[in-house]
Amino acid sequence: MITCRTARAGMNWPRLASACAGLLAALALALPGAAAHAADTKDSALSKEDKACLECHAKPGQFETLADGQQLSLVISSKRFAESLHASSGCDACHSDIDAATHAKEPKKIATRRALAVEMMEACRDCHKKAVTQYQDSVHSALVRAGSDKAPLCSDCHNPHATRSLKDASADEPVVCTKCHEPISKAFAQSVHGSSGDEALTCKDCHHTHNVKAAAFADNMRQECLSCHKDAVTSHAQWLPNTERHLEAISCPACHSPGATRRVNLRLYEGAAPQQSTEKVGVPKFVKVANWADATGTGLDARALWSLLQEFNRNGSAMTTTMLRGRLEVQTGEQAHQLAGKARAVKDCDTCHREGATPFQTVTVSMAGPDGRPLRHQARDGVLTSVESIGSVRGFYAIGGTRIKLLDLLLVLVLAGGILVPSAHLTMKLLVKRRRAQAQAANEHPHVAEPSEPRK
Amino acid sequence: MSKVYVNPLPVRLWHWANAVLFVLLIVTGVQIRYLDLFSLMSFRTAVVVHNWVAFTLIANFFVWLLFYLFSEKNKAYHPEFNIVKLTKASMAQMQYYGWGMFHGASNPHRIDPYYKFNPLQRTLYQILMLFLLPLQFVTGLLLWDVKRFSTYVDMAGGVRVVDTVHVLIFIFFVFYMFIHPYLATLGHTPTAHIKAMITGYEDVDEGHAAAHG
Repeated sequence: MITCRTARAGMNWPRLASACAGLLAALALALPGAAAHAADTKDSALSKEDKACLECHAKPGQFETLADGQQLSLVISSKRFAESLHASSGCDACHSDIDAATHAKEPKKIATRRALAVEMMEACRDCHKKAVTQYQDSVHSALVRAGSDKAPLCSDCHNPHATRSLKDASADEPVVCTKCHEPISKAFAQSVHGSSGDEALTCKDCHHTHNVKAAAFADNMRQECLSCHKDAVTSHAQWLPNTERHLEAISCPACHSPGATRRVNLRLYEGAAPQQSTEKVGVPKFVKVANWADATGTGLDARALWSLLQEFNRNGSAMTTTMLRGRLEVQTGEQAHQLAGKARAVKDCDTCHREGATPFQTVTVSMAGPDGRPLRHQARDGVLTSVESIGSVRGFYAIGGTRIKLLDLLLVLVLAGGILVPSAHLTMKLLVKRRRAQAQAANEHPHVAEPSEPRK
Repeated sequence: MSKVYVNPLPVRLWHWANAVLFVLLIVTGVQIRYLDLFSLMSFRTAVVVHNWVAFTLIANFFVWLLFYLFSEKNKAYHPEFNIVKLTKASMAQMQYYGWGMFHGASNPHRIDPYYKFNPLQRTLYQILMLFLLPLQFVTGLLLWDVKRFSTYVDMAGGVRVVDTVHVLIFIFFVFYMFIHPYLATLGHTPTAHIKAMITGYEDVDEGHAAAHG
């Protein structure tokens, strides 16, 4: 139950009442603990109606007690609101649902601050259709739909009562992201992109503002890198054989974050599709095996992966055959932001193309999760080097680093055979050399070898 | 002994170029695959040399192909469709290498410009020249630029399948590079067949020729 200490009963101006009632909800979107400013109702940027609302809501010390026991500040800084882009829209642009007759008389039931923020997103959509549509396609929105109580809503990044122009807002943007991604922000600040003064990038330059995609999924981030580093393919081709394959199968930070720990992430692809499959959310049988493997710490083996592919390909045609392809990537988002200058990037082929190379010692299998982020399961040691990998991991191979051990054994046997067979044959030839010579002589001169006729 | 011209100049040039290129490909291939065991050259150098040598080998293959396409001597590569006859002749040749030659028996095969391979050689070279070598070229080409040929790589079953086929044929050729030179010493003298691949002329036993002619 909510009570408004400052609402004045008996107010007889429907417009003002409506706006005031709306502010009750709007205040929920204000940052908790926001400094209260004295009302400046003479501010020329505000309409008379808005000034009337602020007569009450600019006064400090007002709050509501929500159903969950939390307190919601009702204070609006009239100065900041007057300076905001929303000042021209006025209070009722967002709070038009307020009933003038009941505002402050019949307290509105609000469960939590977050519930109110979710409800108020509909008001955002009225004016910001494109941004809200983009947001709904983002990983943040997917997390909200999946039940997350931490994924950001509009009001987590934008204070609706102090919204400024995009140009000014960008200065605050890293702070907004840092709310949830602090370790990444710190790592980024030390990176070549975060420490280059005026040319430093901000989060949105790569992740966008509203349609933020799951960074570890598909090639989302690679495309962002290539959007600035347009000559990346050409410059890598000057020294890197099979350039495009490398750029496809290795995430940029895997080489450009030289201190990172790396792993192979096996991902599902349908046929020759260039993008990771987004449809595969797992088959019950595989999920059961994967969860068991995760719980016991044993990891998935090549046979389990083979079973997974068989499940997916049960009714598929040859053109839509699902296969696992590997991608070399860093192990944490923090490491993905520790990008160094290109002089420090890994250029040594030995890093990967030798037996026991560390990037291949950690293998995960991932599928698209319901929130758009990859769901990862640990794979067993040797999954990339067993002979079974020819069937289960046929879309990934790194020469030397993931070579099949059975083929090495076959080569050793063949080498032994190649030496022993001629040696044995030659030895035999030498051992029977005299007998062979005699037999050959007998063949060439049969009359010499023939026994003489007995004397009569 | 008489001399028979069985290896024309284009064949000899192709053969020795092939031999050198095979050795280079095996050395660089081993370096690429076993970087942790050998340090003859850097990985990148090995890859670049391997690629260039491979393209040269493919070009050299066409020397062989064009010569035999337009020469009636391509009879040497004609398959024997009579399985019984082929099996008997192959068994006789195997018996010679495994038993007869230790007892002074004559080689059952008589060399002839149009029939220069014994039955075992003929079968082997049909498989080798018309199947294994082209397959090695194709798999090598796919691995040379996996992205460019990604459609074909996927049609073949994936990059690991393509590489495994490439490595299996490589292993076969490693064995071949031991056996082939040894078999070349099994002429009437140890250097007879080798000289023939230099001069073009094989020594043929006239008496033997008459017996098998």
